Amino acid sequence: MRWKKALFYAAAAVFAVWTVMPIVLIAMAALTPRQELYSWPRQFIPENFSLESFRFFANSHGVLAATFRSIAVALATVLIALLVGAPAGYALARFRFRGKEAFRIGILMTRMFPTSLLAIPLAVIYLKTNIYDTIGGLALMHAALAMPFVVLVTSSLFLKVPYDLEEAAMTLGCSRIGAFVRVSLPLALPSLVAAGIYTFVLSWNEVFASAVLTVHNRTLPAHIISTLNVSPLNFKFAGGFFMIIPALIFIFLVRRYLLSMWGVAINK
Amino acid sequence: MSLLRRIPLPILLLSPTLIFLTLFFVIPLVQVSGLAFQSPDSVFTLSNFDRMVSDIYFDGALRNTIILLILIIPVQLVLAFAAALIVNQRRRGSTFFLYIYAIPLGISDLAAGLIWLSIFTERGYLNSILHNLGILERPLIFLSSMTPKWMVAAIVLTEVWRATPLVMVILLSGLQMIAKDYTEAAETFGCTWWQKVRYVILPLLKPSIQSALIMRTMLAFQMFGPILVLAGRQLPVFASESYYWYTTVRNPRVAAAYALMLMALSVVATFLYLLLLRTKDEQVGVM
Amino acid sequence: MLRKASSLFLLVLLAVSLAASAFAQEITFSSTQFVPIEEQEFARNHILAPFTAETGITVHLICEDDGPFFDRLIAEARAGRAVSDVFGTLHGNVPILVAEGVAADLGDITSIPGRTYISEFVNLGKMEGKQVYVPWMQATYVMMANKKALDYLPEGADLNALTYDELLEWARILQEETGGPKLGLPAGPSGLFGRMLHGYLYPSFTGYQVQAFNTPEAVEMWEYLKELNRFVHPSSGIWAAMSDPLLFEEVWLAWDHTARLTAAVRENPDKFIAFPAPAGPKGRAFITVLTGIGITQGSQNFDAAMELIKYITSPDVQVQVLEGTGFFPTTLEAVDHIPEGPEKILASAVSRQADSPDGIVSLLPVGLGGRTGEFVPLYLDTYQAIVVMNRPIQETLDAQWALLQDLFESMGAEYPNP
Repeated sequence: MRWKKALFYAAAAVFAVWTVMPIVLIAMAALTPRQELYSWPRQFIPENFSLESFRFFANSHGVLAATFRSIAVALATVLIALLVGAPAGYALARFRFRGKEAFRIGILMTRMFPTSLLAIPLAVIYLKTNIYDTIGGLALMHAALAMPFVVLVTSSLFLKVPYDLEEAAMTLGCSRIGAFVRVSLPLALPSLVAAGIYTFVLSWNEVFASAVLTVHNRTLPAHIISTLNVSPLNFKFAGGFFMIIPALIFIFLVRRYLLSMWGVAINK
Repeated sequence: MSLLRRIPLPILLLSPTLIFLTLFFVIPLVQVSGLAFQSPDSVFTLSNFDRMVSDIYFDGALRNTIILLILIIPVQLVLAFAAALIVNQRRRGSTFFLYIYAIPLGISDLAAGLIWLSIFTERGYLNSILHNLGILERPLIFLSSMTPKWMVAAIVLTEVWRATPLVMVILLSGLQMIAKDYTEAAETFGCTWWQKVRYVILPLLKPSIQSALIMRTMLAFQMFGPILVLAGRQLPVFASESYYWYTTVRNPRVAAAYALMLMALSVVATFLYLLLLRTKDEQVGVM
Repeated sequence: MLRKASSLFLLVLLAVSLAASAFAQEITFSSTQFVPIEEQEFARNHILAPFTAETGITVHLICEDDGPFFDRLIAEARAGRAVSDVFGTLHGNVPILVAEGVAADLGDITSIPGRTYISEFVNLGKMEGKQVYVPWMQATYVMMANKKALDYLPEGADLNALTYDELLEWARILQEETGGPKLGLPAGPSGLFGRMLHGYLYPSFTGYQVQAFNTPEAVEMWEYLKELNRFVHPSSGIWAAMSDPLLFEEVWLAWDHTARLTAAVRENPDKFIAFPAPAGPKGRAFITVLTGIGITQGSQNFDAAMELIKYITSPDVQVQVLEGTGFFPTTLEAVDHIPEGPEKILASAVSRQADSPDGIVSLLPVGLGGRTGEFVPLYLDTYQAIVVMNRPIQETLDAQWALLQDLFESMGAEYPNP
């Protein structure tokens, strides 16, 4: 039993190192002074730490405002995508109806076409409906981008919530909605969180739609991406690292919901 | 309310999504994909497809699109499944490992490309480390037209690193829904760990594997940010060619032709997955 | 009495609205220039902030890539709602905007007081009978070397009168003596190597950018390029700007846009030297890159936008821009200004290139309208086919020439000079 435990932790640790190492590298690079960055061979841990590039980047025009906007857009996106998409996922899992497969593939097909090509027609619609350059408008677009996946993931999970449980709840006097909210929803929470995380980071990292549908109200990636591409290396690393931080915090905050309460209870 | 009650529940649940996607995708998509069949003067033509197929990058793009997919997806699936199993063991530290494994989720493909570029350039971390260890006298050039295999390796590593957590999260939420009864039954019958995984967990996980595969394949087909960073146009794929024709050449017609090719590939892959991993509608409720 | 009162009322109204417009105006300036973070900060703090202080007009500068820049401006034109007031971009991008009806007519710009725009540039900004932009800044492409490379310069070669054969020899010696390729080219997806093919190499070897595309002289040039490629750093295909590879010493010798070399001389002014592009059998061809600044069709703030354009293209501000970013002026009053500091290294190479006795100025093609973007890729594809994929030269050139001819013929455009 002991070697099993050792094996488990060894495997877990190897995978953790593989995941974390690149992040550590970019963090180091972001804190390496400019001159040292261009030296060879580069030291893994810089001789001097410097916040100069990082600070110049964070203080440059509009970066902080764009960061807060990004968070607002991402949260709004999660809300919209789950409210609209999860019911559809539930319907796909629970009901038998004609055209179900067609619907499933149809919603997926919307995402099989490269989004960047849709820029001009979308921007024209946005301009004409006055949602151009607004946070809400952008959140709608990001929600649409995430929707097919939200529907797909939630449907595959609701499929596994035994319908008997819902039925049992209904015979015990719950309404259909009540049965759903009290029984299926808590069971499916990890999948909803998974879909939510996916939606959040999709919105957080999305560039093409934000760059075309907003002008003054840009999210962080749209605000900086073109700049980073052509800026000197130290700013590339500083910007790259800066963009990672909020996503790290968000995943940290929601991580425990990924493990379902029920699962824990059963296991204990 | 009485009117709402008369609409069948599934339609009520599905229609918001349907309306949403129609407005944001279907309408512009129809407009744009029409361009693939139009000349600059809006006359019907197939010349954009001719131009695409005869382009010197086309054959390479077709080949690379498929090769990258074949290299990335299976590795990702295996790694993600392993990671999900590790976390689902629920030993001490599981939440910690879950968090660590999920981190790359938050990293955009462009940032990921940048991170791995800093590792693979001639003056990058990999060469620095090899040099400091005394293995290398002078730096190796990994990302070059002479070493396409290294470029492919760098791209595969970047994509595997960045997108495996997404698969892991889907598989993990699937794993948690497998009722304990099944695995406990397997244990009582004296199944080995491997038999338990092979004959109990994997079959029950099929719906999650299916959605993870469909989703990842679709996104992998469209991925080109890391490719542009790590290989430029020396390793063209359909997605990067479509983007190039759209933004650099400013020819949306050929770009749309490439996009339709990409869509066709995705549709084929999706049908394959649906066919190979068919799930039964066992727990279906009444209308 | 009534008439007097009403006219007084009108006057007051006029004055109020003028004052309001003078104090509270905001305009949006979309630009594909000033994208690097330091240039952007410079433009906001040292160019636009003083403008706002002087005129009360607030400028929102949006710096972006070509992709979203085009998409947004085109969508705004199609929807009939100009959110952007001013656009600033490369001359080569403007025909695409004009074809989509994005650019407004600026009228006669030669009468703007206090400056004389270089007249060739003014003429370049006339499209479809309208003055669609004011010449804003100019730049060119030069060579830059790490001073260490000078020790390996072939015997008898003069840095300021280098030939392509000497460049080849130099690159060969460098590779053999240092053990690795030391010549770098910006041939990545956002690099500008295509300009070297059509505006530097072709006219230097064949005398023409387009007409002599598949002639024996052109074949000779491609053979030269295949030879040169043996000494070109193989990572060139991912590089956008050469300043980083130069600073890393991955390469010791490079060709690039002046603005994409500035970061290197700023970081380490003593390490690098800049010099004119090499000459071929027909001369020393080079391109002058022109950027233009114009106003969108339907802008609600035309007058304020015009104020910004006048300000930003005035000789004093152009000199400031040169000192701050390395882009050169487009007015006769400022064009000869020599910048101080590291930019001087580049500026002197630029003026030596412009003054070289065998110089040939390559002009960018005009009249390709919405298909302007297809021009450079045709040259890059030819390079890919011949040099990288090793396809037969003459056949490839004939096939690409057919595409090139078709492009010019279908748009009814003339071949650019030379």
